[in-house]
Amino acid sequence: MDNLVIRRRLPKKLKLVWSCRTLYLMLLPVIAYYVIFKYIPMYGVTIAFKDYNIFKGAFGSPWCGFDVFRKIFSSENFWKAIKNTLVLNLSTLIAYFPLTIIVSLMLNEVSHKGYKKTTQSILYLPHFISWVVVAGIATNMFSQQGGTINQMLKSVGFEPVPFLSDNGWWIFTYVICNVWKEIGWGTIIYLAALSGVDETLYEAAYLDGASKLQRLFYITIPSIKSVMVVMLILQLSRMMTIGLDAPLLLGNDKVMSVSQVISTYVYRLGIENAKYAEATAIGLFQSIVNIIILLAADKFTKAIGEEGII
Amino acid sequence: MYGSFSRMRKIPIGTIILYIFLAVIVFVCLYPFLNVIAYSLSGYNAVLSGRVTFYPIDFNLSAYKQILGRTQMWVSMRTTVVVTLLGTATSLVLTLFAAYALSRDYLPGKKVFSGLILFTMYFSGGMIPTFLVVKGLGLYDKLGALFIPQAINVFNFIVMRTFFRELPKSLEEAATIDGASETQVLMKVVLPLSMPILATMALFYAVGYWNSYFEALLYIQDPNKYTLQLRLRSLLFGEELNTSGRNIEGVGSEVMAQSLKMATVAVSTIPILVVYPWLQKYFVKGVMLGSLKG
Repeated sequence: MDNLVIRRRLPKKLKLVWSCRTLYLMLLPVIAYYVIFKYIPMYGVTIAFKDYNIFKGAFGSPWCGFDVFRKIFSSENFWKAIKNTLVLNLSTLIAYFPLTIIVSLMLNEVSHKGYKKTTQSILYLPHFISWVVVAGIATNMFSQQGGTINQMLKSVGFEPVPFLSDNGWWIFTYVICNVWKEIGWGTIIYLAALSGVDETLYEAAYLDGASKLQRLFYITIPSIKSVMVVMLILQLSRMMTIGLDAPLLLGNDKVMSVSQVISTYVYRLGIENAKYAEATAIGLFQSIVNIIILLAADKFTKAIGEEGII
Repeated sequence: MYGSFSRMRKIPIGTIILYIFLAVIVFVCLYPFLNVIAYSLSGYNAVLSGRVTFYPIDFNLSAYKQILGRTQMWVSMRTTVVVTLLGTATSLVLTLFAAYALSRDYLPGKKVFSGLILFTMYFSGGMIPTFLVVKGLGLYDKLGALFIPQAINVFNFIVMRTFFRELPKSLEEAATIDGASETQVLMKVVLPLSMPILATMALFYAVGYWNSYFEALLYIQDPNKYTLQLRLRSLLFGEELNTSGRNIEGVGSEVMAQSLKMATVAVSTIPILVVYPWLQKYFVKGVMLGSLKG
């Protein structure tokens, strides 16, 4: 019986596969791309467990267990890079998260269509500017000698501020640049949530004599609470990930002790000093921590009754 | 009557404050751009004395003339244009193939293939193994390294697949019944309907390639193959501009350099500003679609 069903089903399946040959042909370069540029490098992480030798390559080098990891875990610079990554990400989050919501709420209150649209267009723009350009403008504006901001401060009688060369001020500048670049972009998701709030709720509240502020606190904010929570969890789950562009381009030798983050450390160690095994090990460690955080965050969002984030 | 009456209603003070506050935010957002324009168009003495803040002083175009007179700039510009065009074409075709094939729910194995793609969002080999693979393939110091290893963006793939899934099935079915092959359905039915999404994706990819700098930093060594962003970086943060500027300008080159730098920034950003109106038309929708899960 079973055999018969399978025998009859198999040609059917094959027929279906054959009828989709054009689609498979389309997938062929796609799969090749993913295998070559994503999955072979994934196998390449094995060099983190090897005594890597350039001439022997990833396959030929002898295994060495966790030696490389022992080495990086005992390195002070590695822990410093992790600390700096967390400090920069958290500082950015603390400024970015509430400001994005405040700007979204403000934009949502604007009833003049043209004004709203123009404001949005301008706020979204910095997202599309490259980090090289942003860092170039920032250097021109924030530098201690001849920077525009310091010129302005000087003209009202303040001392020049070392925005780019003092550790604390550099973190401040880094946060400002990030917020400037991404705040408009961040409002998109909140504005979409805000536009979905039921109008009748406002009307009812208005008739009941609720003030504008009361409507904000009792209708608007509760309606987007779940989006806020999910966005916060999503951003927290990315705490260990940091783009390389901003710290590398804004940073300089004077602030290296706060601007050296995981990604720049991997770059400098691996590419500039050709310590492939160590740099790979750090990357792998970061990926694994990221996956753990992401899974935990997903579980947590589901536990509090939201849709998962994966 | 009612209309004019309500229009005459007093505007609440809160609204006025709100509008002013937003105007301030917009100004803060725009100011860095103004700063660039002001510096790049200002005269040498004005920049030296630090008088430039909001608008150009002693208006002149010499910084632009000088920057556009550099062959290096033009070489880099050409490289970036080539990479952007080739990269966008490659990315678009591959993303289209992936998204279209995997949007067909009758395709056996589509779950496995989609999974294979989506998994790369959560785990990757990292910078060094990827670098070694690219180098191993002989792409090091080749322009191909700037787009082939990152040809498909998973978010763009998801956005496009969602779009294809939402196309009315009846059209394709009708074409199939009329005897159209898979290729004909794609070329004659699906693609003409997909022009807006293809345009959006093309813009996303093009802006990405135009702005990308890290790939060039990783893979390009020959200064003659520097992309615009890499050139810009070495002009802004390296010694390149100061030293060569000194040779041309003599004493005042350090300050001249500031105008020059900002002129370079302006020149390399203008293409983004040119496509921005079109970009803006589509990206909000793209972001919303992309935030949906695969």
